[in-house]
Amino acid sequence: MNKLYIFLKYFFIVVWTVFVVAPFLWALTTSFKDFQSVNGGVTYIPWVDFEPNLEGWKVLIKSPARGGVDIIEPYFNSLFVTCTASLISIILGTLSAYALSRYTFKAGFVKNNDITFFFISQRIMPPIVLSIPFFLFLSSINLLDSLTGLIVVYIVLLMPIAVWIMVDFFNKVPREIDETALIDGCNPYQAFLKVVLPNSIPGLIVAGMFCIIFGWIDFFFAFILTFTEVQLLPVKIVALNSSVTPWWSLSASALVSVAPLIIVAFIVERYLSKGNLSGAIK
Amino acid sequence: MAKIDLSKISHSYNPNDLNPVYALNPFSMTWENGNRYAILGPSGCGKTTMLNIVSGLVRPSAGRILFDDKDVTDLKTEDRNIAQVFQFPVIYNTMTVYENLAFPLKCRDFSKSKTDERVNSVAETLNLKSFLNSPARKLTADQKQLISLGRGLVREDVAAVLMDEPLTVIDPDLKFRLRRNLKEINEQYKTTLVYVTHDQNEAMTFADNIIVMSEGEVVQTGSPKELFERPNTTFVGYFIGSPAMNLFESEVSSNDSVKINNNLIKTHTNLSNLKTKNIKLGIRSEFIKIAQNQNENLIDVNVEKVEDLGNYKLITAKMGDFTIKSKVTRETEIPSQNVKLHIPAEKCCVYQDNKLI
Repeated sequence: MNKLYIFLKYFFIVVWTVFVVAPFLWALTTSFKDFQSVNGGVTYIPWVDFEPNLEGWKVLIKSPARGGVDIIEPYFNSLFVTCTASLISIILGTLSAYALSRYTFKAGFVKNNDITFFFISQRIMPPIVLSIPFFLFLSSINLLDSLTGLIVVYIVLLMPIAVWIMVDFFNKVPREIDETALIDGCNPYQAFLKVVLPNSIPGLIVAGMFCIIFGWIDFFFAFILTFTEVQLLPVKIVALNSSVTPWWSLSASALVSVAPLIIVAFIVERYLSKGNLSGAIK
Repeated sequence: MAKIDLSKISHSYNPNDLNPVYALNPFSMTWENGNRYAILGPSGCGKTTMLNIVSGLVRPSAGRILFDDKDVTDLKTEDRNIAQVFQFPVIYNTMTVYENLAFPLKCRDFSKSKTDERVNSVAETLNLKSFLNSPARKLTADQKQLISLGRGLVREDVAAVLMDEPLTVIDPDLKFRLRRNLKEINEQYKTTLVYVTHDQNEAMTFADNIIVMSEGEVVQTGSPKELFERPNTTFVGYFIGSPAMNLFESEVSSNDSVKINNNLIKTHTNLSNLKTKNIKLGIRSEFIKIAQNQNENLIDVNVEKVEDLGNYKLITAKMGDFTIKSKVTRETEIPSQNVKLHIPAEKCCVYQDNKLI
């Protein structure tokens, strides 16, 4: 019985690993192929099955004038916009979440839970509903086609995630912790910064992770709100496509675009395995 | 260290409603500097609300609080210099035991050497010395509660240490030792200690003054002896003592005697000016003994059962519809029939409308 259990356990782990890793393997090999190798049947092993070349990768850094697409600038644009918007969202979101968790707000029939729901409801709406207002808003303040404009929009998109996760998290941090800090002589700001916040680092990490993921993968708003001055990575990758699908450079760009998320995943995983996130994720 | 005055304090959690419900009905009280107080009452009677008002976590709906005659009603918690320990351990997870204990001093800018000295002394008292450098979250629940307690005791100049059932999670052996330690701390530093509990034994052994509460009302304040021998209300008689006080519905028959089931019982209470004749007679089971050669205040009972509880015997007897409990020494011979119990007049408490006359 026990042996069967161990066998089944490892069997499913192997199946799952193959399921997760295979697409990466496929993308990795494809990124080193040329037109011939891609269309010449299924091959996996370089130098044996096919002759690898770096053409797919070179396209990504060559300037458009020389037949490339140059994703370096969009890449750093994406990093900058995602990180800045995530950071600001986390700061604002954490502050609002703390207020929503600890203080009672009442405006007519609107109470704390309704305010929290208002934040979440921003994410329930289909993005297309927001596209025109955002477009008009950014154009009225001259921020269309700019990094700042994108950051503003992304904060609107990411802050609800931060609020949602952090309200839930702060609700689980006992109020007695704040009260004890007050009794020990902190003022409410010190109690938040010195005591509640350090206790909430797991929550901050989870919220940060979600903000970075959702910011990084957004295509829709990046596509609608920028034209030529500023481009983000997802939009640039789509621009790679042409009449002959360049599988090699698409694969290469897929790998570089997923790289930051893999790094984030590894950092979070280290926390997970240390048990520091216990209770942070239901 | 301070004298704490609670003046006409009352509190409701919904003061603006049409019919506000009062968690605390108006009361006034003084906590003298350096004394040990216990607030005793069943769950939900307003004990914790009272503590939170003193520490400033809750602002009372009415009334004033004075520390050493200085009004602190509007002063924030952090400016009151008070310590409070909650029922469940509250520790700062991200800090070590040392940092936890030093936190209240750090917040008040104590010097490094003074902090060291205080933390070490408190850690010594609470047996935490060997854990000072461990992360606080790695400790067991009762050690965590010791940290909470330690944070309360680390400041010498604190106005009072308020404890909200602090020993619930601690095992009985350590509980006993800690209560003694708290007493020593109180005697040594003259720190005012206020201890909330629903356990009468804890209250009786810890405090020199007990405040009994029921449904938001302070029903009696006094020494353990006073509460035991002269409960102000039938509630106190019932709540304090084990078993609870014997209470008999009875009628006044003369200026100083009452009639229970055709037995005349003399009391030391003047019963001449009562509104009605219906009263309740209360007597502790500790004071009821098997009659030897007394010739008054006797009642005939049928013994129902005798329980041997180790250091004493508990007799449960019937007199008509009334059940009487009596605590006697283990050596007492209990006859099987024609048992007469003696009720000492000086120990009788007479209640009308559940209040002591």
